[in-house]
Amino acid sequence: MNSWIHPGLVISIGGLLIPFIPWKKVKQAYFLLLPLAGLAILVATSAGVFGTIPAWPDSLYKYNVPFLQYTLDIVRINKLSMLFAYVYVVAAFCMNIYALRVKNDWEHVVAMIYVGSALGAVFSGDFFTLFFCLEIMSLAPFFLLLFRGTKKSAGAAVRYVLWHHFSGVCILAGVLLHSQQTGSIEFTTMPWGWGGEYLGSNLILLGFVINAATTPFHSWLSDTYSEATPSGSIYMTAYTTKTAIFCLIMTFSGVPLLMWMGAIQSVFALFLAVLENDGRRLCSYHIISQIGYMVAGVGMGTDMGINGAASHALCHIIYNALLYMGAGCALVVVGTAKFNETGGLYKYMPISFWLYMIGGFSISGFPLFNGFISKAMTIEAAELIHNRGVYLLLEGATVGTFLHTGLKLPWNIWLQGRDEPRPEIRAKLKDSALNTPVHMLVGMGVLAFLCIFLGVYPWILYDMLPYPVEYVPFTVTRIFSITQMFIFAFLGFWFLRKLLGGHLGYVIDTDWLVRMPGMKLIQFCNGSLLKFGSFLDRSVVKSSAFAVSTLRNPSIEMRLTPTAVGLGVFVTLILFVIFLLARIGV
Amino acid sequence: MNKLRVYPKKLFWRLYFIVLVVSLILDFLWLYLHVFHYHFSFQYIPQFFAIFGLLGCMLLILIAKAMGIILVVDEDYYQKKSGKSN
Repeated sequence: MNSWIHPGLVISIGGLLIPFIPWKKVKQAYFLLLPLAGLAILVATSAGVFGTIPAWPDSLYKYNVPFLQYTLDIVRINKLSMLFAYVYVVAAFCMNIYALRVKNDWEHVVAMIYVGSALGAVFSGDFFTLFFCLEIMSLAPFFLLLFRGTKKSAGAAVRYVLWHHFSGVCILAGVLLHSQQTGSIEFTTMPWGWGGEYLGSNLILLGFVINAATTPFHSWLSDTYSEATPSGSIYMTAYTTKTAIFCLIMTFSGVPLLMWMGAIQSVFALFLAVLENDGRRLCSYHIISQIGYMVAGVGMGTDMGINGAASHALCHIIYNALLYMGAGCALVVVGTAKFNETGGLYKYMPISFWLYMIGGFSISGFPLFNGFISKAMTIEAAELIHNRGVYLLLEGATVGTFLHTGLKLPWNIWLQGRDEPRPEIRAKLKDSALNTPVHMLVGMGVLAFLCIFLGVYPWILYDMLPYPVEYVPFTVTRIFSITQMFIFAFLGFWFLRKLLGGHLGYVIDTDWLVRMPGMKLIQFCNGSLLKFGSFLDRSVVKSSAFAVSTLRNPSIEMRLTPTAVGLGVFVTLILFVIFLLARIGV
Repeated sequence: MNKLRVYPKKLFWRLYFIVLVVSLILDFLWLYLHVFHYHFSFQYIPQFFAIFGLLGCMLLILIAKAMGIILVVDEDYYQKKSGKSN
């Protein structure tokens, strides 16, 4: 039964038509309808219209195309890919509402191609299709960054592409090695170890780990996401890293290395977040930190670990888009999300503050918000394998997450203990409590509703998870311990809140280790190497000019000056040697 | 104009302290009544999560601030470092 319509294809090809619709209202409606069309296909697929989806880990295959000596499984539908696909289209719908008024149609086009290729990646059943989709995914954000139009964003765009093409090359090289060894390109569980025979696996792992922004390869994320256009960055938060998590679940579940990388990453990013001055960069560090939970869950490899990683990926897309939208509101309305410039905005943007707080509570994992039902699952998985280290790191990251997204960011942007914003910011605000454009609030509102809905009624999510869920989220122990932890984290924040204020500065990240040598190389090329090159160039031109002038007008040089005689002897000798060498060579 | 409201400060602080005290009492009470089911022995220390939350939060800020002495640089750090090459 080959009658499935690929939602990724519908969304990305449908997206291409956006600039050619002349009527504004129709265009906006069409833009909103695209993800809904994708959603309709997914609902039909779930209902079994295109064949029943077997229980995890079995899959339903469609569109098997012969390619070289392999067969491409362009579409593979299983419970996990359906879970990711659902949240991709639902999130895309909310993001489209938020981005509705963006004037540049091509931003919409690129965003839709991005969403479509992400869907293609989660539905791909072989590594070549996956690689193809990942490559498109690595190009789309390049344009979202360029459309911002600043010099910084152009630089970030180039760095983004460099990182992702490096990871792409790693994946391709790994796939080629793997297929040569095993003769299979199936996108499924990979053998993993340290020896040379696992080189292919390890290259693929490296590629996925870079895409998932796992420490120490996380810096591309905070570097680039904060430079994109306000609405473009929202799309970027959701797709690339979560697709990488999907790939990790499919291929490397149960790799202990990942468990530790994830746990360390979840805390490490928080240290850098303390120092951060830009709201969107702070949120970026929180994406990295939250991905740590997912990577750790994948690394544990237990049923609950995988369930935790998958459900957290879903919840994370929803609340993180909400957080980024909240910080983006400040950026759109007052032109900055830097803590040393904002503060006191509450009076003028209270609705966006409260909607943001719903996202903040969700990411922290407050009971009755969606972070609680997924994050606690991963932490519980760490408890069940009795790993104290991973447990303490993940629990500590929970405190830090609440400190930053629940307290530091809203405090610095909306409150700072001020009743009024700074005068230069005040001048940009209307005398109204509704400075944020309404469509942005609607987009945030839908996401906020989903945060609370999933938090109160998680079973709709639990039914979609690959493994059957035996986990009971709402126990006295868990609710009480996490609530008490937050109450006291707030106290700690209040004591030290002065240290968390805005200050000008840029935080150096691990990418320093790559960017500095790279910069030095470019400087060397531009400086010393270029000088040497031009010296070489000049001397060749000079000597050839001399030779030409001598041959054309010998009378001038015919005078038997010592130089002329010496040169004549020298040239004759060289010619003679060349002649001899040529003879010997023959 | 000033119909615009500032955030509800007083209400917040009152609620906060009530919740804080209640949580302290509940922890002792429920620990005594064996309500909790933890996985590690250290989680049974009285007020473990309160201490963990408070200390974790403060240590995170203080250590990060110490790291910041080295890590926080000028806003145009990379632009300046790259000099005229860009």
